[in-house]
Amino acid sequence: MRARNVALALMLIASPLGAQRDVDGLSVGRQMLAEDNPGELWVQRGERLFYEKRGPKGASLERCDLGLGPGKLEGAFAQLPRYFADTNTVQDLESRLLTCMVELQGVKREEIVANRFGTLDKDSDMEALVSFVASKSNGMKMNVPLAHPKEREVYKVGEYLFYRRSGPLDFSCATCHSDEAKRIRLQDLPNMTDPKQVQAVVSTGWPAYRGTQASVRTMQHRLYDCNWQMRLPDLGYASEMSIALTSYLNHRGNGGVIQLPGVRR
Amino acid sequence: MTMKGRFAALLVPALIAAGCASFPDRETIRAEAEDAIAHAYPGMPSALTARASQDGSQKLCSRPPQDKLTAEEAMQIVENARASIKYPASGKLVGDWKIGAQLVTNGAGLRVRDGRVEKTRENGALCINCHALDPKEVNAGNLGPSLIGYGVKRGTSDAVVKHTYEKIYNAWLYFPCSNMPRLGASGYLTPEQITHLVAYLVDPQSPVNRN
Repeated sequence: MRARNVALALMLIASPLGAQRDVDGLSVGRQMLAEDNPGELWVQRGERLFYEKRGPKGASLERCDLGLGPGKLEGAFAQLPRYFADTNTVQDLESRLLTCMVELQGVKREEIVANRFGTLDKDSDMEALVSFVASKSNGMKMNVPLAHPKEREVYKVGEYLFYRRSGPLDFSCATCHSDEAKRIRLQDLPNMTDPKQVQAVVSTGWPAYRGTQASVRTMQHRLYDCNWQMRLPDLGYASEMSIALTSYLNHRGNGGVIQLPGVRR
Repeated sequence: MTMKGRFAALLVPALIAAGCASFPDRETIRAEAEDAIAHAYPGMPSALTARASQDGSQKLCSRPPQDKLTAEEAMQIVENARASIKYPASGKLVGDWKIGAQLVTNGAGLRVRDGRVEKTRENGALCINCHALDPKEVNAGNLGPSLIGYGVKRGTSDAVVKHTYEKIYNAWLYFPCSNMPRLGASGYLTPEQITHLVAYLVDPQSPVNRN
């Protein structure tokens, strides 16, 4: 079973991007990593954390509603971000888990945000929980809805932000991610205006085990890191801006077959 | 029912559904998105959040590709660029290519982590992030065109030198909304730094022009 998942992951990583690019030394390294994805450790830890009674309220996350009903995890990632009536906002996986940890377990929001990205000294609960929940959609297709008016609004806000240039270097997301086979130095840049590539990124890209960081990193971290390269200030965790961009990308990745966590440089 | 008729019958409900599922108008989206930007950087000092606000040219250059600039808008960007350009106090536009060589590979400068700007002696010019320059350099990006042989192809006339200086200072003068940052106009690079980059591009002794 495990071997089959790994083989599937390999195919998915190799096919959508690899088909259009020469095989280079770096991609061989990524494939070798994918054969024994260290992200599995985050999935296992996330599963334990999800069902453990924790926080001031001594509750597990079993009542957490990620869009398909309390505790229903299969397929939950595939339809995020989406509108939630209780918060009256569109939420991605991370902001929704944040809501659940605050509401159900009584954990302080600031505490979760402070520990959103793991360090060598301290693992992040969020990175583990995201890995676990995302992996429960493996084999399913991305299917992010635009049924609610707020979902449509947030999607269009994301599109606006994708093309919005600012900062001392005049960058937008599109500067690096709207043309074919481009690189910053030797780093490949996915073209997020190409349906196949955006599918690959959102369904097999994040969360991912990042070799250079020896940790799983999430989509929120990916956007935070892009902001850093763009010379913008630290992007707020689970900010409306981050969710809008995720909504824009994930919806356009609909149809991509999920295999997560991924493996990245 | 004919094929055409059947399609029409299918289309009617689809069109009604599409009508219900309409997107908000452009102005609503713009206002919402700008509000999202205003709240995207909680706890950051205003000197840093100010980086996310746009000047007039950035606003014009923020449209999706299908939404093209009008000729007037393109002219406005060119005029803004023309007004932005300052020349070095010395008046000399060609500096030292060896200093330029250090700058072109330096990709650091102005990045922010935990609310603090990274400490660097000077801002790097970032060139090889996007351009091939020295044919022996493997670690070069391709977002911008290759500039290998730049001086060999163009020579070192005053006109070439001035064009090169201005292009680096504000790329939008010659190509409105180019992906290339307006490195001098934003204050990211100094006029003196740019003269060293000009030298690196045009000097016959520079690796760019020696094969």
